[in-house]
Amino acid sequence: MSRRYDSRTTIFSPEGRLYQVEYALEAINHAGTAIGVMAKDGVVLAAERKVTSKLLEQDTSAEKMYVLNDKTVCAVAGMTADAGILINNVRYSAQQYLKTYGEDIPIETLVKRICDVKQGYTQHGGLRPFGVSFIFAGYDDRYGFQLYTSNPSGNYSGWKATSIGANNNSAQTLLKQDYKDDLTLEEAKTLALKVLSKTTDSNKLTSEKVEFSTIGLDANNNIKLKIWSPESIDKLLKESGVLTRDEEGDDK
Amino acid sequence: MDIILGIKVQDSVIVATSKAFTRGISILKDKDDKTRVLTPHNLIAFTGEAGDTTQFADYIQANIQLFSMRENTELNSKSIASFIRQQLATSIRSRTPYQVQILLGGLNKGTEPFLSLLDYLGTRVDLPYCAHGYAAFYTMSLLDHHYRPDMNTEEGLKLLKLCNEELEKRMPIDFKGLYVKVIDKDGIRDIDFA
Amino acid sequence: MVGKDCVAIACDLRLGNQSLGVANNFEKVFQLGHVFLGLTGLASDVLTVHENFRMKANLYKMREEREIEPESFANLVSSTLYERRFGPWFVGPIVAGINSKTGKPFICSFDFIGCPDFAKDFAVSGTASDQLYGMCESLYEPNLEPEDLFETISQALLNAADRDTLSGWGAAVYVITKDKVIKRYLKSRQD
Repeated sequence: MSRRYDSRTTIFSPEGRLYQVEYALEAINHAGTAIGVMAKDGVVLAAERKVTSKLLEQDTSAEKMYVLNDKTVCAVAGMTADAGILINNVRYSAQQYLKTYGEDIPIETLVKRICDVKQGYTQHGGLRPFGVSFIFAGYDDRYGFQLYTSNPSGNYSGWKATSIGANNNSAQTLLKQDYKDDLTLEEAKTLALKVLSKTTDSNKLTSEKVEFSTIGLDANNNIKLKIWSPESIDKLLKESGVLTRDEEGDDK
Repeated sequence: MDIILGIKVQDSVIVATSKAFTRGISILKDKDDKTRVLTPHNLIAFTGEAGDTTQFADYIQANIQLFSMRENTELNSKSIASFIRQQLATSIRSRTPYQVQILLGGLNKGTEPFLSLLDYLGTRVDLPYCAHGYAAFYTMSLLDHHYRPDMNTEEGLKLLKLCNEELEKRMPIDFKGLYVKVIDKDGIRDIDFA
Repeated sequence: MVGKDCVAIACDLRLGNQSLGVANNFEKVFQLGHVFLGLTGLASDVLTVHENFRMKANLYKMREEREIEPESFANLVSSTLYERRFGPWFVGPIVAGINSKTGKPFICSFDFIGCPDFAKDFAVSGTASDQLYGMCESLYEPNLEPEDLFETISQALLNAADRDTLSGWGAAVYVITKDKVIKRYLKSRQD
């Protein structure tokens, strides 16, 4: 019976639901986790990369972290190929804004642009929705550092700390427990890794399984945006002590 | 023959425009205001082909106001200048270019005085003082000589008075006096310029 | 201008409407990553073309996950200008920079529809180009150190601009080495 309502994105079911959108959301709940934590002097994004086979060539560049412009970076959960389309689109759109107004696009406006595209695909017939959720981290002059998520329905919301993808509920609970309002970027990094290590299936985090990016201020108070290299992630994992704590956790 | 003048001083921007609206040898109106308010802290003054000017100014005004409504924030002066320039640069390569010269005065981010000169080609320069058309030939030397960046509004108006005297003396037609507007942290206000 | 492991690029600061000087703060050299783009010609197009290339360089940076190199950028300039073969941008571009991988200095100039001139010594553009050729031919010598290159390019520009009514009103000079960029403003005749 439900077949009548779930084969098309444009049609509400008698219960007032859009099945295709819900399926898309469900697909993301099986994707690798991504976590975002905002600090007073920056934002951290961390994501789990699922290694499907050891024969698979390890991609040199990040798979789930993308720079959108000089002041925004995002993490992806869901279908990476779908994300690519949206990312290309919004990168172009951000540059177009820079050309017109001579300044970087505000973060919320940028998020809105992606969400307008996503929303369009929940309504126009014959197309499936985008199977991706994003976490955006960015900086603009109006609101300072910001953290947003968006999902396939085209809704978006601002957060202090949030997660998307597999186990996002438990990650959210952990974040709620440990989040403090005056977190520094350093503390936020540790928190993000700690939560990620507890929510992933594999019991030990390595640079092969983690992607990491930060946005903060450099020595001259300029915005510095960085997607971390595997070597620096390994170093960070070691220094943060997440690895050892994780093993203790297993003992209990 | 319209006069469009702008002076940026320490805490404000002064914009002056002639009141006469002329066509050929006739003055059709002696109380023509050649400015449009874009936001509480930004205005444009314009001159050029009759029709094009008001059409273009209204278009810019509507777009800036639309932006304010959509984004729930005021666009700053630099962004407005950038936007107007893009419109003019697009227009010059279209089949029917707008023939307008524009001067944008305002407070960038509500604090820093800002003055920008734009022409119909899409040229933009941010300047301490500037004028369009013939007025530039008569006033630039005066402004070069007397202008100091640390002047206050009072001194700026005094300098404008000098410019006005020179224009009254040398312009071949009566331009019916000037409308003078000052943009400072309190917003935009008209100055009674005798 | 090319020196020993360094390049220099310089421009005057005048913006004019025919004989009327309008501004003395109009820079014509722009930095895009580690590539430098100088643009002479119609001021409106100088601004527009700069905005376009800034956009292209930014998108390239995100797509390739590295900054664009001067050689690639020069080819981008060439093809982008030729795209407008029958409705061109009225600009005379110069590209200068040091390849971040090989460390090789690179300069290149173009006509307004994108025909590149890969010079090994110096490239000139603008209303004073004839005068600049004369100055560069007589002052330039190969393998100058950065400080000597600065002196040479500055003298060439200043003296060429003095023989051109439409140029001058101050100048900006960039000296670029592999790990440092020095920018200096020059005072010049204000008439």
